[in-house]
Amino acid sequence: MSGHRIGAITSRLLHQFRRDRRTLALLFVAPIVILGLLGYLIRGSASAPSVGIANQDQGPLGATIAGSLEGSSKISASTINASDGDAKLKDGSLVAYIVFPPDFSQQAQQGNIAPEVHLEGSQPGNQAPVMQALQDALASLAAASPSAVHFQPKLTFLYGGPGLDTLDYFGAAFIGLIVFFLVFVITIVSFLRERSQGTLERLMASPLRRGEIVVGYMLGFTLIALVQAAEVLIFSLAVLRVHNQGNVLLIFGLETLMVISAVNLGIFLSMFARTEFQAVQFIPLVIVPQVLLSGILFPVSSEPKPLQYLSDVLPLTYAVNGLRDVMLKGADLTWPSLQLDAGVVAGFCVLVIVAGIATLRRQVA
Amino acid sequence: MSTNQPAPGAQPTSDAFAVDADNVVKSFGALKALDGVTLRVKTGEIYGLLGPNGAGKTTLIRAIVGLVAPDSGTVTVLGRRMPDLDILAQVGYMTQQAALYPDLSVEENLRFFAAISGAEGNVTEVLKTVELDQRRTSVVANLSGGLRQRCSLACALIHRPRLLLLDEPTVGVDPQLRVQFWEHFRKMAADGTTIIVSSHVMDEAERCQRLGLMRFGKLLAEGTPNEVRAQAGSNNLEEAFLRLSGRDTE
Repeated sequence: MSGHRIGAITSRLLHQFRRDRRTLALLFVAPIVILGLLGYLIRGSASAPSVGIANQDQGPLGATIAGSLEGSSKISASTINASDGDAKLKDGSLVAYIVFPPDFSQQAQQGNIAPEVHLEGSQPGNQAPVMQALQDALASLAAASPSAVHFQPKLTFLYGGPGLDTLDYFGAAFIGLIVFFLVFVITIVSFLRERSQGTLERLMASPLRRGEIVVGYMLGFTLIALVQAAEVLIFSLAVLRVHNQGNVLLIFGLETLMVISAVNLGIFLSMFARTEFQAVQFIPLVIVPQVLLSGILFPVSSEPKPLQYLSDVLPLTYAVNGLRDVMLKGADLTWPSLQLDAGVVAGFCVLVIVAGIATLRRQVA
Repeated sequence: MSTNQPAPGAQPTSDAFAVDADNVVKSFGALKALDGVTLRVKTGEIYGLLGPNGAGKTTLIRAIVGLVAPDSGTVTVLGRRMPDLDILAQVGYMTQQAALYPDLSVEENLRFFAAISGAEGNVTEVLKTVELDQRRTSVVANLSGGLRQRCSLACALIHRPRLLLLDEPTVGVDPQLRVQFWEHFRKMAADGTTIIVSSHVMDEAERCQRLGLMRFGKLLAEGTPNEVRAQAGSNNLEEAFLRLSGRDTE
């Protein structure tokens, strides 16, 4: 290995980036747009589902609960006639309506509280806030009665806290995923371009060693990607204020491992594609299963058993788990779980580097 | 320049031949791209490989530079049995397409290829040789085809190779530039550089010291342009070429 020749490849890549505005935009603007959008989606104030309330109760209870529903922030309640309800579900102006039947209070006295809830039903996501608002209203009613049992569990949190939200949970994983994905795509395409424009043939007809090509590429892309990783991290922590309990340098270290594995996976897989179009076909093959199965969206422990085995062999699973442990639980390198996560990702780096060098054929045919 | 010196042990076993390919066979699936080619090119010679598309010229050049591993037979370049990475520092290779980095400038391309062969000192001089010193800062993507070809040649010359392999270097090059290219080639050969050039342009064949006619992966005939004409009984190279290659197929 000659440091001089490796340096030549690395500095050439950096020169190329300087001229390639489009790729630079993809690397440095896209992550901010994606993360910013994600943050706004999750943290921006959502509009509450519209729920109709028809109170036919001849006793006092229906009115009390209806009043408490109207005050709920989870739904936006309005009074309707029970007979209009179905039409309003159909035209989409309501996602549900709740009817308190004429004998509601009477039934309640006998311990049978039975409001009728009519749901639109095609959007499962709308069901939860309606049911939750109704339960809250019923609970407040129960608490108001003199013989009430007060239900008040004391909450303590081992990690995180009551303020932890979905963005904190996803953010930790997305910081790694975005960097991994973009770096992978750019490496596989630029390595393929090297092949299709004929320059790889020229490199192979020079004294360059295969290892020098791979290491030169790795250094060049890793440098660029680390700038990107730093940008993503700063944006997430300073602008989005994603919850972080751990050491920022540790997060950056994990990201570095992800970058190195993405670059080398890109080099390795580019050997199996002849055109840039074929390279793009690797994205659904490599990226989508990892996004679904690495625990970014669904916790691995909640997956069906056979899929868990699959998740356990995906490097991204460990990377995501490691990032979450650091950011949400404040893990450091003395934690065995983080040692495992970092170890697996580092092992994967070595594996793809070796695979990349081994499959880079000198022969063009 | 250290790159101009042969590496220790690289002295040709027989000084006479810069390239010695012996009975080289290479198949791609059912296609026999090289069917027992024996080619010996003397040091300082300009050798022309002629033949129609698909005759095996590119495969032969790739076998010489070590990009194609022969199924059988041997290739010796500058006294070293190929593949040999170190001897490649003394071989210049210009591919058919102008293999350059389109988003780099002329000079950046040259500096890169110079750096991987350890010949950074030659950049300015080579730019002058191919008359690109006025365009050194132009980005390759914005250059015309002829200028690109010139830049590609410059990248093949940057480390002052002792053996220069040119795969159809003048395709898409205007006649004026072609004359300039050939002037360079002659000058280099006079200085001891061995040049193998593939072509299917007959007026280029005239400029070679020796010719080899290829077809169907075989070297059908060899000799100076005059010898080739005499062998075919024709005073026109193109006709000679057609006759010689036809004789074998019928």
